Amino acid sequence: MKNSKRLLAGPYLFWAVSFIIIPLIMIFYYGLTDNDGKFTWMNLAKITTPENLKALGLALLLAFVSTVICLVLAYPLAMILAGRNVNQSSFVVLIFILPMWMNFLLRTLAWQNLLEKNGVINSVLHFFGLPSWNVINTPTAIILGMVYNFLPFMVLPIYNVLVKIDKDVISAARDLGAGNIQTFTKIILPLSVPGIISGITMVFVPALTTFVISNLLGGSKILLIGNVIEQEFQQGSNWHVGSGLSLVLMIFIIASMALIAKYDKDGEGTAF
Amino acid sequence: MPNKLIDIVGVSKSYGDNLVLDDLNLYIRENEFLTLLGPSGCGKTTLLRILGGFENPDSGKVIFDGKDITSLAPNKRQLNTVFQKYALFTHMTIAENIAFGLKIKGKSKSYIDDKIHYALKLVNLEGYQNRYPDSLSGGQQQRIAIARAIVNEPKVLLLDEPLGALDLKLRQDMQYELIRLKNELGITFIYVTHDQEEALTMSDTIVVMNQGYIQQIGTPEDIYNEPENAFVADFIGDSNIFNAIMVRDKLVNIVGAEFPCVDTGFGTNKPVDAVIRPEDIDLVKPEEGTLKGVVTHLIFKGVHYEMEVLANNYEWLVHSTDMFPVGTEVGIHVDPFDIQIMKKPESEDEEAVGIEE
Amino acid sequence: MKKKLQNLYLLLIVIFLYAPIMTLMVLSFNSSRTRAKWGGFTGKWYVSLFQDEAIMSTLYNTLIIALLSALIATVIGTLASIGIQSMNRKFRTFMLGVTNIPMLNADIVTGVSMMLLFIAFRMTMGFTTILIAHITFNIPYVILSVMPKLKQTNRRTYEAALDLGASPIYAFFKVVFPDILPGILSGFLLAFTMSLDDFVITHFTKGPGIDTLSTKIYSEVRKGIRPEIYALSTLMFVTVLFLLFLVNLKPEKEVHEKNGTIRKPSRARHTMRLVVTRVVPALLVIVITAGGFFYNSKTKISGSEKVIVYNWGEYLDPDVLDIFEEETGIQVVYEEYETNEIMYPKVQSGAISYDVVCPSDYMIQRMIENDLLDEINWDNVPNIKNIGQTYMDQSKAFDPENKYSVPYCWGTVGILYNKTMVDEPIDSWSVLWDPKYKDSILMQDSVRDAFGVTLKYLGYSLNSTDLDELNEAKNLLIKQKPLVQAYVVDQVRDKMIGNEAAIGVIYSGEAIYTQKENPNLEYVIPKEGSNIWIDSWVIPKNAEHKENAEKFINFLCRPDIALKNFEYITYSTPNEAARELIEDESIRNSKIAFPDASELSGCETFKFLGDKNDAVYNELWREVKSK
Repeated sequence: MKNSKRLLAGPYLFWAVSFIIIPLIMIFYYGLTDNDGKFTWMNLAKITTPENLKALGLALLLAFVSTVICLVLAYPLAMILAGRNVNQSSFVVLIFILPMWMNFLLRTLAWQNLLEKNGVINSVLHFFGLPSWNVINTPTAIILGMVYNFLPFMVLPIYNVLVKIDKDVISAARDLGAGNIQTFTKIILPLSVPGIISGITMVFVPALTTFVISNLLGGSKILLIGNVIEQEFQQGSNWHVGSGLSLVLMIFIIASMALIAKYDKDGEGTAF
Repeated sequence: MPNKLIDIVGVSKSYGDNLVLDDLNLYIRENEFLTLLGPSGCGKTTLLRILGGFENPDSGKVIFDGKDITSLAPNKRQLNTVFQKYALFTHMTIAENIAFGLKIKGKSKSYIDDKIHYALKLVNLEGYQNRYPDSLSGGQQQRIAIARAIVNEPKVLLLDEPLGALDLKLRQDMQYELIRLKNELGITFIYVTHDQEEALTMSDTIVVMNQGYIQQIGTPEDIYNEPENAFVADFIGDSNIFNAIMVRDKLVNIVGAEFPCVDTGFGTNKPVDAVIRPEDIDLVKPEEGTLKGVVTHLIFKGVHYEMEVLANNYEWLVHSTDMFPVGTEVGIHVDPFDIQIMKKPESEDEEAVGIEE
Repeated sequence: MKKKLQNLYLLLIVIFLYAPIMTLMVLSFNSSRTRAKWGGFTGKWYVSLFQDEAIMSTLYNTLIIALLSALIATVIGTLASIGIQSMNRKFRTFMLGVTNIPMLNADIVTGVSMMLLFIAFRMTMGFTTILIAHITFNIPYVILSVMPKLKQTNRRTYEAALDLGASPIYAFFKVVFPDILPGILSGFLLAFTMSLDDFVITHFTKGPGIDTLSTKIYSEVRKGIRPEIYALSTLMFVTVLFLLFLVNLKPEKEVHEKNGTIRKPSRARHTMRLVVTRVVPALLVIVITAGGFFYNSKTKISGSEKVIVYNWGEYLDPDVLDIFEEETGIQVVYEEYETNEIMYPKVQSGAISYDVVCPSDYMIQRMIENDLLDEINWDNVPNIKNIGQTYMDQSKAFDPENKYSVPYCWGTVGILYNKTMVDEPIDSWSVLWDPKYKDSILMQDSVRDAFGVTLKYLGYSLNSTDLDELNEAKNLLIKQKPLVQAYVVDQVRDKMIGNEAAIGVIYSGEAIYTQKENPNLEYVIPKEGSNIWIDSWVIPKNAEHKENAEKFINFLCRPDIALKNFEYITYSTPNEAARELIEDESIRNSKIAFPDASELSGCETFKFLGDKNDAVYNELWREVKSK
């Protein structure tokens, strides 16, 4: 019985090997060979050119800042939502999933309209006689775009962990003399670590590798590592270098998988 | 009699339209083992949570040691709670769980270590300090929850159905454990349960509650032997409860037969409830009983036989060490002092209001 | 008080999340084509949306891919979850680890890796490849939704069913399935949403002639999104909002009476809920699928005869394609690109065999030198006679014997400036380095254009390969960077119309359109000289429908068709016969569209400089961009 049940995973195993594992091997192959198919480290070494290093560094910085902002915004939000009536949870998820039905590119483009020199926000500022906010085509605009696009991926895992915390556990902490702050730092925060870690990786990785947001909101003045890779594949036509750089990116992805494996063993901190 | 420690004065609480506690008055003495007993939804847990500070009553006051603590935060109260599902902190070791309250109070490390050691010894779980709660059995977790509460030396320990999740044998062991603990600690226990056996075994005082009202307060013996109304009688132990008519003082008509009893003051020809415990029914020869009947069921229960006797169209539940096979004609005899007469409640809601002490 | 603060915070976050969506909704009612200007309220885009076959078929592609991929992923994922659940710990960890890869991996890496796979196995990039990719990244969402529910189900109930004589399959569907159904449904919904919203992975795995909404939008970003897209998105959003609202209608609150009985929700309510949660989605699915087949059959009039066209974005009147299909019965598979540099590797890789492509001069030279182009059989293109001899002669710079290319559009690169923001007469590239216009300068985001302008300003040839000259240009560009508001391609148009910038480097073809929208704009070819360019139709060597390609090119050279295209894209046409047909005299004789030879004296055409020099240019450009 048990054996035959296991076979149900067969189609998926086949699929995963064909379309997840083999493609990854392809990246390794391209990343570690040159045009003539000979083995080389050169593609990986490309990351050390000043331009690529700068693109990577900037991407790391922007991704880090937007992850921190997401966390700071999302945690209180998740707490407020978790404190609300329990049977609203599907509603909560919907609020954050719903925007995805408006295309991601359009939503990001809309920020151009909002942020431009003569955009909506500046018009409002002007109306109140406030100085204008010149933010479009700066790293700040990119960060804003990242926070906007990835905030749900921070809120949902944290929210999901928070609602699972037994109310009695919090009561118990209060009962044993812990004040609001102590209850938070000693109980709620440590218990929500799986959600936080999951949220961090789900924000950090896409933010680190995006090329669309930096293109649309950065006025193509700001190159992130994602832009470099995209150009290698779509314009520079050097798939080997592109693959090599992708391999470098995968270091960060593997690191985040390790983090998840360490802190979220039971998969509590899933977003959905 | 020791002093009053807690005085609950006119406490009411409702959730939306649902009235959970209605103008409830109760006091609890120092060093008392008091049990709040009732079916689920009777308001006993709400009352406990009000004591713990997790809920605020809509009206009324809670006086603790002479001071009004009605709106005092839970962390400022001198009582600790053992929660229904233990509510241990899963991200901390056993030692850290126990030390939690003490660390917050800023006790010294050596004091805390001593206390952990003492508490684990008290609950018979020495050597468990570095384990995590998930690796413990239900009964062990339960005892850790108690240890975590008592190291703070509360004046009162609140226990919310603490044995509910344990199996029978463990539950019985823990009952003795709790009595021992209470005696060693010398503090007040307020215990919430829906299990009458637990209540009868451990308590000094039992408060029977139903639908937000106190039905009866008394010692386990009082409650068992002299239930004040049909609800209490039905809830505590097995009972035969009859719609009866009080013919006159000391004579009651139960299902058509007249039984002498000891109760007076119910008037004449008034409808009443009559309660007879199954073990108080004596089965005798048919001609010797007040009433004749036929045995319809027989089950061996270990310490006694359980039988059902059909008499005047009513099933009488009888416990006896004598066995009468099914089909036997028997007589039913009840000693006058084994018949408990109770006034019929005016309405369901009003059941036994005003039985406050 | 605390509650009020919380509500305020929630409100702010909701505003943050929904402000862009409101903006898009407002734009869908903007009667002006450009997003940069409010032209008054209109509902016309909602009408023209449904007449626009390109958008509608894109929509149906998107929905069908989302639906199919979500369905298949749900089936595979649910089966997999059950299988994984009954595996031993080691194997389960492995499987869940693999499942995590597409979730955690960067979209770009996932997309690229799949692209490499499809190319390595010579799969034709198209509907199938997108579908495979979407299924791949959707399965994990299903598994992650189903697994927790599966963990919660009580094994004993399943065993109880077996004990009562149920077959394993029957037991599964009667006992386990209802328990995990919510997980399956939410997995499906999530997969559907994710597929709908994906851009990056689709971007790398799609082929010619197929677009999802995302890729369609991306290809339009540089030109400015067509308002119909806003209207479509608004409709989709509102529909989903409405559906979700219906589904989430709470059942009448179950009333707990004092005696403990529960009043059952009324029967009518129950039926209502059933309709909303089951029938409506089912109907939706049917409509989507039927619509998909309908549009598919409409676009595939005849499956056998087709021509695959690869053209610049917004570089052809869509009506022209319809006319061509109607007249010839040849189906046009149409795809767009943004720059020559993006087009080249696609053609070179041979992953997709395009029949007719429209590169610029220097790129044509490169393609000829690398033997990527086929000679055109002039017998099949009699309309070539309409093309002015001047342009055929100019073409000889990159196609010396006029063997490979048919000129389609031409123009110059110049400066577009806003007279209200610039009060001096502008006649030199030097204005692009004037600190006065800091943050008001829009520079072209392509290597050759950016360097070409700079080299010209320095007095060198824009085909320079002299390292010193190039480095000088590079340094100048780096110096310019702080002054630049943004590097853009076609967005110059919208930004200049919307008064976002004072000065922009722009193709002459865009100048006419922008002037129409914003009369304050003026176009000038700087005195140092500039680039004169020609985009021409060519036929790649690996074209599979060469004759159709020639028919297509010949068709485009017809004066009436060339005129139609000119009016739509406003780029100068080399088609003399078509120019004669222009009714508006001011345009027919416009100095911008058809400048005098004297104005063009300092202008040069880009040449292909060889792969080595190209690499040098790219390297220097990246240095500029990453500074």
